[in-house]
Amino acid sequence: MKEFTIKELLVPLSEYATVPIGATVYDAILALEKTQEDFDHAKYRHRAVLVLDDKGQVVGKLSQLDVLDALEPETDESQEAGLLSRFGFSANLIWAVQREKRPDGSLSEAHLREAACLEVENFMKRPAEGEFVDQEAPLKQAIHQLIVGHHFSLLVTHEKRIVGILRLTDVFAAVFHMMKHTPPGNDEERP
Amino acid sequence: MKELFKLFDRIIQRVNINLRELAFDATPYVNELIRLEHMLKFYAFYGITPNHPLSFEFQHSSLAGSYFLGKCRTTNSILYKSDIRGDELKKRGDMLRYQDFEIQMTKDEMIDIEDSILIKTLVHNYSHDPETIEKFFIHSTVSTQYANIHGSPTDGCFVGPFATVDLTTQSDCVIGAYSYIQAGEISHLNIAPGTIWVRGGDAFNFLYRYPAEALRRYIHFEAGQAPQGVFMDFVESRKHEFQRIYDVVHIEPSVPVPPTASLDRYAVVRPKTRINENVLVAQRAYLENSWMGKGANAQENCYIINSRLEGFNVTAHGAKIIEADLGQNVFVGFNSFLQGKPDARLSIGPDSIVMPHTIIDIDQPLAIPAGRLVWGLVTDAASFETHSMSLAEFSKLERPTSKGDMCFEGKGAAFVQAFRDRIQHILEANGAFYDGEQNKGHAQKNQNISFNTIQPYPKGRLEGLYPTILIKP
Repeated sequence: MKEFTIKELLVPLSEYATVPIGATVYDAILALEKTQEDFDHAKYRHRAVLVLDDKGQVVGKLSQLDVLDALEPETDESQEAGLLSRFGFSANLIWAVQREKRPDGSLSEAHLREAACLEVENFMKRPAEGEFVDQEAPLKQAIHQLIVGHHFSLLVTHEKRIVGILRLTDVFAAVFHMMKHTPPGNDEERP
Repeated sequence: MKELFKLFDRIIQRVNINLRELAFDATPYVNELIRLEHMLKFYAFYGITPNHPLSFEFQHSSLAGSYFLGKCRTTNSILYKSDIRGDELKKRGDMLRYQDFEIQMTKDEMIDIEDSILIKTLVHNYSHDPETIEKFFIHSTVSTQYANIHGSPTDGCFVGPFATVDLTTQSDCVIGAYSYIQAGEISHLNIAPGTIWVRGGDAFNFLYRYPAEALRRYIHFEAGQAPQGVFMDFVESRKHEFQRIYDVVHIEPSVPVPPTASLDRYAVVRPKTRINENVLVAQRAYLENSWMGKGANAQENCYIINSRLEGFNVTAHGAKIIEADLGQNVFVGFNSFLQGKPDARLSIGPDSIVMPHTIIDIDQPLAIPAGRLVWGLVTDAASFETHSMSLAEFSKLERPTSKGDMCFEGKGAAFVQAFRDRIQHILEANGAFYDGEQNKGHAQKNQNISFNTIQPYPKGRLEGLYPTILIKP
């Protein structure tokens, strides 16, 4: 059975969507689209955009959820939703209450335009300690970090520089592949 | 008085450390609430009865005007006109049921107050936390005027005026003024004033929030100021009525009291009040020109004025009933404020439930039909419709529901049944169903209480503090 390494699975930084700090959410979406076109051989689509400082260092990551977050500005309604959630109410009730207070809950053009103009640093997540993994580390370590931190990807480092992204989807595909070549059953009965 | 000031500062510091995550500073709130010079003016007192385990331990504490019953311990604490009522604590041999566990009590439960300031606070009931069955603790906490800590072990909290924490273990929380919390277990929450939250595990979840501006008229509490509003004006205007009963050693009841009823000698009863069988009137209750039907009760800090309670009525701690007529089995929850007027009386039909912390303040007569659930702020017929539902209708709720500022999720039937069970338990505990032989409760057991007073150091470094006192059988 072939065991995959992190180096084999990572997406190089050069193939990943990036934007400089100060870019807008709209810039990030365009960068994501362009990367997808340039590297459409990938089986799975890119799902995040990296934010770089003026030295080209990764300072943040903008996920799909972060982009959607830009559509929910800090209004009375979003605060209300957060509050009800803290009191243990379900999403069903929260949505019912919001619909009652604002029957027209559709996304307007103005709403989308406003969110597109917001700067990425307002929504990006700065990578936490457990989101970095060395490219020489065993794949098992990366799996452990993905599970413990509930991450969708890890930043792969080499000599203290970020060299790529290890995506959950690629790790899953590799594990799936390995599993297929080791079907369950009694090893002794196998030829 | 140097030691007392030092103790005060030390307690506030401990509370602030606990609440640092919420960025809450108790100092400016508490500084205006209590004048340590007044801690000398009022004696503390404790009750002795043949019906409750006896154990009092007071160490490095100031206890002005506070009352103790049952098993209580205070350490490094300041209590001002608070009631520590340990007559519902669990006793050795009792069996506590929690989920699938049956837990046997190996010793009597104790109320344990440490590093805390309690101002005009009621502590009652017993710890419902299965992890601390033998200790109902209140540690590193500040609790303010007319708050109720009811069956709620508390650590590192600030409880605002007229707030109630009921059957809930709380740690590192700020409970805003006039909030009522019954949620099992909470931590690190800053609850806004006027939040009424009743959560029964996965079975139901009820939330009502008073509009801030509307609540402000009744109670508002800001840093650097004492609590203000209608509630404070109401109790302050009757404060002098209590002065007389604390100044007199022997006092005879001012109205006839049937042998099966109990009128605490520290309650105020004004003329033309009638007390019927199995009635319980607790200390610091105030009755005036009112009819207390069989099995009705008035708990601590209750005011019942120009009203008629037909019988088996629970008037929970701090509730006020003015110019009202209540049918049988009407429950009025903690700190509710029901204010009719002489020409605009309030009537509440039998078997209704007025939820804890409900305000009914009317200028036109209002008749609430039988079997109604009422919550929130009711000022007229229109707001009554928004803030009530028949109990039968509420019992049918199964989908997430909102009505005005109220949200409900879960099974309405479970919610209503939980209230009914609780009301039944309170009536039983209070002795409302005593038949001359069976079903004795507080109304019968609390009849013969001997009161003893204790006093602090009158001068010197320890002025205002009480010497270490141990009182055992």
